Amino acid sequence: MSFGSPYFTLPDFTYHKPKTLREALELLEKYGDEAKILAGGVGLIAFMKERLVSPSHVIDIKGIPELKKLEYRKGEGLVIGATVTFSELESYQVIREKYRALYQAVKLASDSIIRNRATLVGNICEAIPWVDGPPPLIAYGAEVEIKSLDKVRRVPVAEFIKGPVEIDLEPGEIVTSIHIPDVPSGARSGFVKFNVGSEFALVNLAAYLSLNEEKKDVRLVYGAISPKPVRALEAEKILSSEGDMRTLIISAAVKASEELEVISDVLASEDFRRHLIKILTMNLLTELVEGG
Amino acid sequence: MVRKISLTVNGYRKTVEVKDNELLIDVLRDKLKIKGVKAACWRGECGLCTVLLNGEPVKSCLVLAVEVDGSEIVTVEGLSRDGELTPIQKAFIEHGALQCGFCTPAFVLASHQLLLENPNPTEEEIKEKLSGILCRCGTYYEIIEAIKSASKFYQKK
Ligand SMILES: Cc1cc2nc3c(=O)[nH]c(=O)nc-3n(C[C@H](O)[C@H](O)[C@H](O)COP(=O)(O)OP(=O)(O)OC[C@H]3O[C@@H](n4cnc5c(N)ncnc54)[C@H](O)[C@@H]3O)c2cc1C
Repeated sequence: MSFGSPYFTLPDFTYHKPKTLREALELLEKYGDEAKILAGGVGLIAFMKERLVSPSHVIDIKGIPELKKLEYRKGEGLVIGATVTFSELESYQVIREKYRALYQAVKLASDSIIRNRATLVGNICEAIPWVDGPPPLIAYGAEVEIKSLDKVRRVPVAEFIKGPVEIDLEPGEIVTSIHIPDVPSGARSGFVKFNVGSEFALVNLAAYLSLNEEKKDVRLVYGAISPKPVRALEAEKILSSEGDMRTLIISAAVKASEELEVISDVLASEDFRRHLIKILTMNLLTELVEGG
Repeated sequence: MVRKISLTVNGYRKTVEVKDNELLIDVLRDKLKIKGVKAACWRGECGLCTVLLNGEPVKSCLVLAVEVDGSEIVTVEGLSRDGELTPIQKAFIEHGALQCGFCTPAFVLASHQLLLENPNPTEEEIKEKLSGILCRCGTYYEIIEAIKSASKFYQKK
């Protein structure tokens, strides 16, 4: 049932379903930029319908056992394989308890039916500026592991995402997993998102605070306000300084709303986004400091 | 490329010839004539094409037919047994939980699965599990009431 419009059909391609990572890498090597990886397909199939991409080869990685890995090790952290879905992350107890910002982002990303298919790795590989996966990952200092036939490399998520739908990935390469460092006890994190009507965030924000130790560690990461997620470094500095926490939070929120470059688009003006940055930062930090 | 896939649909084994670029929604509706799977937005927003894939609700407009080779699919047509409607279907009728009825197959299917997994859901849990399905008539209140009232039948199992 195509109604004669490309929107309802997909361009022609050959489907491959490798059973091992090696086999997948060989296909990627062979077809180069003619190939696209298919994980949950929620992004890729929608993009293909709109002819934003038209790969001649689609490589489904869901049959590769080692990409299903979801594992936490004390001291080492969390490993999330490339085919782990949002729904699987949502029901993984460690994430709910230790990685609150990621948990909250996962719960707010699209809807529970989409989350049964969508993967976190697919989410960051899509690199759409308003998606919810990147800010918490950047706040935790997460890295992606990338493999090709002859190389393995690790890149911080913050650098992996280069701009709108632009990532640090060469033809022949695949992202195998995301590695998130362990969080020290006493550290707190959270995520908030402001959206109206649709699930597109106008602003989303992940915060990570580790204030107990000698060395204070604070990260504030904003999405949807610029071509790629950004940290509010000046605001982070304010939060790391000495003083009454409530006063610091207000100054940091005001600073964040001023220091960042912010876009204006059909969804929201620059002014409105700056206002949202201030309010969301204030609310989230207050909740993190006062709650629990 | 054209290939043969085998799947179980509503309890029946089927073998179908599909092209690599064919969507699951099209194969179900056009080749297997299962019209309870509704087509509306085609981009994963409205959820009317929801089917159970190995027991999990998924939106079939964003799934390739070749991906489900060897899988089990249930649509609204597969719920009733020997002509007897399931408790959730009866509850939808009793509560008038539909107006035009176009979203009903998806809502019935997703709520049936929700109640199997969680026979006593809170209103929040119901809303969260069903937020991916849209009812343009706005019958959400009655849908939620229907699910709450059907839940007692699932608890007994
Ligand atoms: C209705 C709807 C609502 C949505 N709402 C939200 C929302 O609120 N928040 C949000 O964050 N997102 C949202 N999304 C986007 C969705 O979360 C992402 O599209 C999804 O996470 C992508 O994951 P996937 O597994 O489906 O990726 P796929 O569609 O399989 O792939 C996406 C892209 O990443 C590439 N890719 C995938 N895996 C790899 C890999 N291992 N290595 C290299 N490249 C790879 C693919 O080639 C493709 O280009 C929404 C999507 C829909 C359809």
